Amino acid sequence: MSVHPDGYALLKATIELSASSLPIETKMEKILQCITDGFESDRSLHLRPEAVLKDGFLSRVAERRKLLWVDEATPFQEEALLPEEKDLLCPSFACIPLFDEISFQGIFYIGFSKSRTFSSSDLEVLLLLSKEIGAAIRNDQLHRVAEDHVRRVRQLSTLWELNKALLTTVNFDRIIHMTLTAITIGDGLGFNRAMLFLVNDRGRALEGTMAVGPNSAEEAERIWSALSQRKGNPSELIVQIESSTENHSNLNSLVKAIEVPLEHEQCILSRTVLEGRPFNIRLPFCGEEWVQTRCERGCALSSEVGCYVSEHLSQNPRIYAFATIPLWGKGKVIGVILVDNLYNRNPITEDDIRYLTTFSNQAGLAIENARLYRNLEGVHQELKEAQTLLVYQEKMAALGELSASIAHEIRNPLVSIGGFARRLDRTLFADAPEKRYTQTIMKEVQRLEKILGNILTYTHEEPVALKKLDLREVMEESLSMMSEGLRNGGIQLTKKFSEKVPEVTGDYYQLKQAFFNLISNAYESMNGKGRLSIRIHPLSMNGTSFVKVEVEDTGAGIDPEALHHIFNPFYTTKDDRLGLGLPIIHKIVTVHQGQIEVNNHPGRGVIFSLTFPAQEEKQR
Amino acid sequence: MMKILVVDDEESIRLLYKEELEEDGFVVEVARDGLEALRQVPLFKPDLITLDIKMPGLNGIETLKRIRETERQLPIVMCSAYGEYKQDLTTWASDAYVVKCADLTELKNTIRRLLRLL
Repeated sequence: MSVHPDGYALLKATIELSASSLPIETKMEKILQCITDGFESDRSLHLRPEAVLKDGFLSRVAERRKLLWVDEATPFQEEALLPEEKDLLCPSFACIPLFDEISFQGIFYIGFSKSRTFSSSDLEVLLLLSKEIGAAIRNDQLHRVAEDHVRRVRQLSTLWELNKALLTTVNFDRIIHMTLTAITIGDGLGFNRAMLFLVNDRGRALEGTMAVGPNSAEEAERIWSALSQRKGNPSELIVQIESSTENHSNLNSLVKAIEVPLEHEQCILSRTVLEGRPFNIRLPFCGEEWVQTRCERGCALSSEVGCYVSEHLSQNPRIYAFATIPLWGKGKVIGVILVDNLYNRNPITEDDIRYLTTFSNQAGLAIENARLYRNLEGVHQELKEAQTLLVYQEKMAALGELSASIAHEIRNPLVSIGGFARRLDRTLFADAPEKRYTQTIMKEVQRLEKILGNILTYTHEEPVALKKLDLREVMEESLSMMSEGLRNGGIQLTKKFSEKVPEVTGDYYQLKQAFFNLISNAYESMNGKGRLSIRIHPLSMNGTSFVKVEVEDTGAGIDPEALHHIFNPFYTTKDDRLGLGLPIIHKIVTVHQGQIEVNNHPGRGVIFSLTFPAQEEKQR
Repeated sequence: MMKILVVDDEESIRLLYKEELEEDGFVVEVARDGLEALRQVPLFKPDLITLDIKMPGLNGIETLKRIRETERQLPIVMCSAYGEYKQDLTTWASDAYVVKCADLTELKNTIRRLLRLL
C-alpha cells in the first residue's frame, strides 16, 4: 500500500525553495525536510559525491545513472552494502543519482522504516524532485563560480592597477615602498603589515630592506578610516601615499636592522628563500612544528612576529596569522615578503597567498629591474668618475711635461737674478732708496721659485723613498730653508718639540717640502709681524701612536668661503698662499697616511695640524 | 782655508757662487764643464765640489762617477735646477743634493755641514 503524496504541492514547494536566495546548506535542509514530510518518510538525504565510496552500492547507482528502489516487490540483499553504507538499509528506500551535463552531483536518498511499495507516480515525483535538487545544487555551484570570477576579475584589475603604478618608476626605494604599500592598503591586497627582506649581493644573507604598517592598533584604525575617505583607484592611491609619507615607522627601523644568514634552517625567512615556497602560519594552532622552535639567533623579528611561540604567547593564546612568500626575480629567489594581520586578526587564506604570489611575481621583477638599474647607475657613475680622473691625469701629465721643461729653463736665470739682487742688497745702506728695488726683486724671485717648485712637485709623481725619520730634524731642515726670511722680519719663532718623539716612516724630501710650504704660508700670512709657533709631539689614539706636527700663525686666517677649496689644486684666489702650496701638503700627507686638520680663526690666525702614524717601537 | 770647486756651465751662476762663497771665507775655483773639473781636481785639490748636472759634454752624473774613481772621500754636492734626480740612484755617490735657489742659505748650510764647520 502506498500513501500518494500531493506531488504538485511538493514540487511547488521544492521549486520555490531551490529558487530562494538561502545559503545552499539551509536550502537543501529545507527541501529535504519538505520531501520527508510529503512522503511521510523517515529521512531524505543528499549524499555528496565524496560520500559515494568506490565499489560500494552507491557507486553502482552512480555508474548506472538510474533510479534504484527497494520495496516489498523488490527485495534487497543486505550484502550488497559496504559496512560504511549499512545505515542506508531500511525496509524500503530509493536512491536517485543526480547528474547534469557536466558533473555527478551526488545521490538523492529517501528511506522508510516501514516496508512499502513505490507506485509509478511515486517514482515519477521522486525523479522530478531529484531534478529540482540537482538544479538547486547546480545553481549554487554556478553562483559560486560566478562569485569567484567576479572576485578574480576584481583582483586582476587591482593587480593591473598596482603594476601600472610600479611601472611609473625605476627608483629602487620607490619601487619597494610602493610594493609594500600595495600589499597593505585595503584597496590593494589588504594585509595589515608587510616586510621585505632581500638576499644580499653575495647571496649569503637576507637583509631587512623595508617594512610598511601601522605602529599600533589605534594608528591602524586612524589610517584605515582616513583611507576609506579617499577616492581613486589603487594605483593613484599608492603613488600618492608613497610620495606623501616618509617611512619612519618603528617597524621599518626594526626590520632594517635585521640580517639573517641564509643557511639558518630554523628561520622561516631563510626557509622561504631556500625552498622557494610560501608559508602560511597560524598561531597558536600551528601545524608546522619547527615554527615552535625558538630562534636561537635572537633575531629581532621574533619579538615582532611569531617566528616562535613565546611564553607570553602560549599563556595568552590568540589567533595570529602571518605568511611568508618568496620573491622571484629572473629565475631565482631574490627575497622574502612577510605579511601579517596583527590588528584585525583576519585569517590568511590560501587564496590570499595565491593573490599575493601573483602580485609579488610582478613586484619581484620590478624590484630586480630597479636593483639592476641602480647597479647600472652606480657603475655608470664610477665610469664617469674614472673618466674624469683619467682626463685629469692626462692633463696633469701634459702640464707636468710642459711645466717641467719650462721650469728648468727658468730656474738658472732666476738663481742669478735673485742671487745678485741679494748681493746688491747687502751692499746698500738700510736707508738707501735702492733698497726697496732690490727687496722687490728678491721677493718676486722667491715667489717665482716657489711657484716653480710647486708646479714640479704637484705635476711630477716623484718616487717615494721611505726612511725612518725624526720629524724634528725634518722640520729643522725646512726652517733652515726659511731662515733668512725669518731673520729679516719681525716674526717671533717659538719651537716646542717633545723630548721623545717616535720615528715616522716617510720620504725626507717630500716631508721637508710639506713643512716648508706650511711655514712659508704662515710666514706670508703674517706680513712680517707676528708669532710663529711650531709644535711636535707624540700622540696616542686607540692604542696606536702618532706624531703630531702643529704650525700656528697669528696672521689673518683663511676666508671661510675659501676654506672648503684650499686643498683643490685649481682653486685660485687673490690670497697668494692658496696656490699649489696646500694641495701639495695635502698630497704629501695623504701619501704618508697622515691626517691634516685646519683650525681657522679668521682675523686671528690658523693652526695646521698634521698627524702621521708613528713607526712602532719593537718591544721585546 | 777650505777650497771649493764650483762646476757649472752657466757663467752667471759660477760668478754668483764664487763671490758668495769667497765672501764666506772659502777659496773658490770654477770649472765650466765636467772635463775641466776632472783636470782641476788633482791640481786644485778642493775640499768640496759643487756639481751641476745638466752640462754640455761630460754631464754632472758622469763627472761624479769619474771623480769618485779616485776621490772616495771628497764631499760632492749635486747642485741642479732639476729636483727629480735627488732620489735617483745616479746621484747616490754624492754627499748631498741641493735644488738651485736664489737664496743660497740651504747650499751654504749644506757645505758647512759637510765640511764640519757648523
